[in-house]
Amino acid sequence: MTWRRCATVLLLLMPGLGLIVSLIGMVVYVAIAQSFGLYNLNGDSVFTVAHWAEMLDRKLYTRAVTYSIYIGVWSAILAVAFAYPLAIWLRKPFRGSIIIGAILKAPLLVQGLVAAFLFINVISYHGIFNQLMQAIGLWDEPRRLQNDRGAIGVLFLQTWKNMPFALLLLTGAVQAIPDDVLDAARDMGAGTFARFRKIIAPLSLSAMQAALVIIFIGAVADFSFQVIAGPTNRQSLAQLMVFVRQTSWHEAAVVGVTLMVIALAGSLLLAIAARLILKGPFSR
Amino acid sequence: MTQAKINSFLMGVLLAICTIWLLVPFTMAILWSLVDPAQPWTPDHLLPPQMSTYRWTNMWENSALKPALLNSYTLAPITAIVTLLLAMPTSYCLARVPFPGREVAKLLVLLPLVVPGFVTAIFFTAILFQLGLTQSRFLAILIAHCVLFLPYAIRTLTVGFEQVRQDHIDAARDLGASPIARFRAAYLPALRPSIFASLLIVFIQSIEEFAIAFIVGSPDFTTVPTLLFSRLGQDFIRPDAAVLSLILVVPNVILMLFLEALLKSANPTLSSGKG
Repeated sequence: MTWRRCATVLLLLMPGLGLIVSLIGMVVYVAIAQSFGLYNLNGDSVFTVAHWAEMLDRKLYTRAVTYSIYIGVWSAILAVAFAYPLAIWLRKPFRGSIIIGAILKAPLLVQGLVAAFLFINVISYHGIFNQLMQAIGLWDEPRRLQNDRGAIGVLFLQTWKNMPFALLLLTGAVQAIPDDVLDAARDMGAGTFARFRKIIAPLSLSAMQAALVIIFIGAVADFSFQVIAGPTNRQSLAQLMVFVRQTSWHEAAVVGVTLMVIALAGSLLLAIAARLILKGPFSR
Repeated sequence: MTQAKINSFLMGVLLAICTIWLLVPFTMAILWSLVDPAQPWTPDHLLPPQMSTYRWTNMWENSALKPALLNSYTLAPITAIVTLLLAMPTSYCLARVPFPGREVAKLLVLLPLVVPGFVTAIFFTAILFQLGLTQSRFLAILIAHCVLFLPYAIRTLTVGFEQVRQDHIDAARDLGASPIARFRAAYLPALRPSIFASLLIVFIQSIEEFAIAFIVGSPDFTTVPTLLFSRLGQDFIRPDAAVLSLILVVPNVILMLFLEALLKSANPTLSSGKG
């Protein structure tokens, strides 16, 4: 590559990729630096691990870590688990399959906060769900469902919002599997589950990994669903970060760096786990 | 049972679930937005006892809705255009100029999508404080939105640039076209759907974006999502939240359907991630 060409490429990449790398790089750098006491906005900057030590010692922090991982992992698994059968069902077009696909994808069009509002509206104390349960006689009196302690509401919202995205990725991958392969497996006596386990799942592995990872990163960093519909006795990492920033940028930075590390490490682990489960440790 | 019977049965079940999934929540939201404050909607009534558009007019006249709409709808088109202009050269390079490390560059483009939104929001604010650039919230949010949504624009436009045919470019060049004429004759026709798609995707994303607008904009710069968040939080008024939810969701659904039609006519939908 000549110098001239090299310079052209760099110039072309500058406004787009250059801007992305410099700003996001700066954001990540400032977060890491602030977590070690540097870039102090209100006084002298001193390199210290005190902020890490202090946060790691706080129960609020450790609970937020486990809670966010819980939400992230379960959201990813639930969304993919619901999307798979639907993707297989919609593999071959049939009358009405386009409408079904469109309805299933509809939550993609609904902004997160709106989804959260629709949800708390349906499950509110005198809401339609409580009324229904009383009308059919399952419950004697209305129950408080909003902000439930097990965070089922948050998981429901995450699944509702993310399942269509997983479906989008998986439909493409499942449709790309040739009929011959599935017919051959059927001829050799593979049942429905064996066909899924041995043919469909391994052949759509990369789409599944992509879905798992993207949903995990979104859900682990969730703020709005947690604040609106989540349990009030614990905080997600994003919520904790916004909360402690009011008193200390450095502590917020510790939480922020934790969040990035968890997003990255968790994505890798999920992708590897999916691969091991579906393909076994020795196959390629 | 035959395959067709199974399908129609499954479809019936699914349509029923989807009614619960979409129709009930949205109907509830519409009904709540029409509740007249003179007579509260108590649980013993199936429908609101008195319906009026009072909440809509009240929100319009007595809340931060007008400035929020103004902010959202000036921010989004500017973001869409600036992002398009910033994305063009990089997309051209990624699609048509072979260079070592191109695959790495394509991955690096996705960086803003990997870093959690609230981390970007908070430490972007830290940088602004550090540099003393806190006068214009609008400008700060604009910059952050552009960077955040560049991946969508670059991905979409890269696919577009890949579809430009080399023989068209060569033909235009052979006929002595200037670079601008070449762009208009050979590139633009193949690129047009990607340009529209990029503008639409970024516009929608910017309207919907919450983390940056909330952190960088607080306390006095409101957009529609931050206003909705405040109405869902400390001052929760259900009918007001219903009005805001509908104001936020309806235009975007229309735009998204438009986008879907556009993408179907042009290129693989996956480049948008929204298809």
